[in-house]
Amino acid sequence: MFRKVLIANRNEIALRVINACRELGIPTVAVYSEADRNSLHVKFADEAICIGPPRAADSYLNVPAVISAAEIADVEAIHPGYGLLSENANFAEVCRASNIKFIGPPPEVTRLMGEKEKARQAMKRAKVPILPGSDGVLATEEEAQECAEKIGYPVILKAKAGGGGRGMRVVRNADESPNLYRAASTEAANAFGNGELYMEKFIENPRHIEFQVLADEHGNVATLFERECSIQRRHQKLIEEAPSLQVTPKMREEIGKTLCRCMGEIGYQNAGTVEFLMDANRQLYFIEMNTRIQVEHPVTEAITGVDLVKAQLRIAAGEKLSDILPAKLEIRGHAIECRINAEHPQKFTPSAGLITAFNVPGGNGIRVDTAQYAEGVVPPYYDSLIAKLIAYGVDREEAIARMERALSQFIVRGIETSVPLHQEIFQDAGFRAGEFDTGFMERLLAKRIEDEKQPA
Amino acid sequence: MKQQDIDDLRQLIEFLKLHGVAEFDVDRGDLKIRLKFNQAETGPSNLHDLAGLLRSAAPAVPAHTAPPAHHAAAVAPAAPGPESAEQEVHIVKSPIVGTFYGSPSPGAEPFVTPGDHVEKGQVICIVEAMKLMNEIESDASGEIVRCLVTNGQPIEFGQPLYEIRQRS
Repeated sequence: MFRKVLIANRNEIALRVINACRELGIPTVAVYSEADRNSLHVKFADEAICIGPPRAADSYLNVPAVISAAEIADVEAIHPGYGLLSENANFAEVCRASNIKFIGPPPEVTRLMGEKEKARQAMKRAKVPILPGSDGVLATEEEAQECAEKIGYPVILKAKAGGGGRGMRVVRNADESPNLYRAASTEAANAFGNGELYMEKFIENPRHIEFQVLADEHGNVATLFERECSIQRRHQKLIEEAPSLQVTPKMREEIGKTLCRCMGEIGYQNAGTVEFLMDANRQLYFIEMNTRIQVEHPVTEAITGVDLVKAQLRIAAGEKLSDILPAKLEIRGHAIECRINAEHPQKFTPSAGLITAFNVPGGNGIRVDTAQYAEGVVPPYYDSLIAKLIAYGVDREEAIARMERALSQFIVRGIETSVPLHQEIFQDAGFRAGEFDTGFMERLLAKRIEDEKQPA
Repeated sequence: MKQQDIDDLRQLIEFLKLHGVAEFDVDRGDLKIRLKFNQAETGPSNLHDLAGLLRSAAPAVPAHTAPPAHHAAAVAPAAPGPESAEQEVHIVKSPIVGTFYGSPSPGAEPFVTPGDHVEKGQVICIVEAMKLMNEIESDASGEIVRCLVTNGQPIEFGQPLYEIRQRS
């Protein structure tokens, strides 16, 4: 096992990794920016090194500063957490060149999965279902129409050079296709200087389903079932749960086998998550892979009993999956996670500042992953996640009841949090019945605006 | 040891324990002291805090590791309260993480010694990071009062390196 690990991250995930290291008897080194001097991850690591000023680019994303800290502290391995440098293939390469073990997949695999089109092709070769689409750019309206016929309406035209929803049009039938093609192309040309378009199948109101994978460095792969993350606002997840009510045991087994084979083919190592969209017919389509531990990993830990971060450390230290995982992986119970953000629950404006009260709920079936505390400060330089609240129950109903109880006891003063928003979601009949998709939050927020307009 | 020395030492020990210092050395010519506290009593070491404590208690730089030119002033008893050595004193802090070296190469003369006048922009030390020797420039002009770190010491971002007394 490693004689010392540096955690190249901050906030709750840094503390999460420090905890796993502590339990495995591994000494830890924390790095921090000047804004995080009083953070819990700094206080609870064995050593701590200041690596830069508050801005992430000058500190947590500063590769020479992180590597230099690793060198002067003489660490054997670096755990990158999630976000920040965790999917930076260049950073993984620098680690390798500096003789420091990067806890994650090899840089080549990170790079492959990081390029969306290459990842799609790799998955396609491995017979993982992918979202049907055009092979590259569509030169003319006629080509677009042909492609749409092959894929099947509805389809979405997307700008090759674009993002942020611009240069995109949903096409539902052949009649509207030429006009929409022209409109999308013009918008793209104006916004990005490039009017080229490609096409993908459009899923109306999809669900977001993702599968957890673990692969050791000896060619063994396992899948640890799925998570459903359809409650999102502007592509930011708010609530995740495991398992998904929509995935049948048969689907689970098939996708599991396919992914194990696929991960073996691409030489994947360590933890990863494969993300899919699910259409109304419960058909899954690959969209992308995250080559790191995810924020919502605790719900998978709850239903499988497997400590995923410890698994990452042990895999990187050369252990085999057969020694890390139980002989038979099973789903037990149901788990839900709420991402508690330092945000105004209605306006969604970020809320930085001094926390004056911080009562964290506990009790049977409740887990809280947080690095915040009373009289702690939420700095304005980073993301707004302040805690993850996870409820576990024998079934979804119990998990919901426990979550509602816990939300009501999560008292935070001094900053705004999303707790009231989460409470609102849990009271929603559709959510409780498991009837939702990625359009859920938009509809909830629209309904709220409508309700406010009604005279009292 | 004279009774005054013993009293001074007792006060120094209390001061160091109060502030969680792990190790402390002093060489006053006629008196050499080495103190090492159990880690459990003092908590995890923090390079930055230690440098700050050394400054406020005005002790000498540990004699056994520093090159001869870095012998600093005698120990002042810590008890009445930290001496105010802060007037007009500018601290040069490290802009990067790495390992400190006071000389251009092993065995060579140090870039600066206490009493030297330096100009803003002048190279005063090296911080090595990832096998690159980064020359650190002074960000103020004035007289070097003392060096706050030792050769080969691990340095974090913002770590105080030198005290400079600026001309007003």
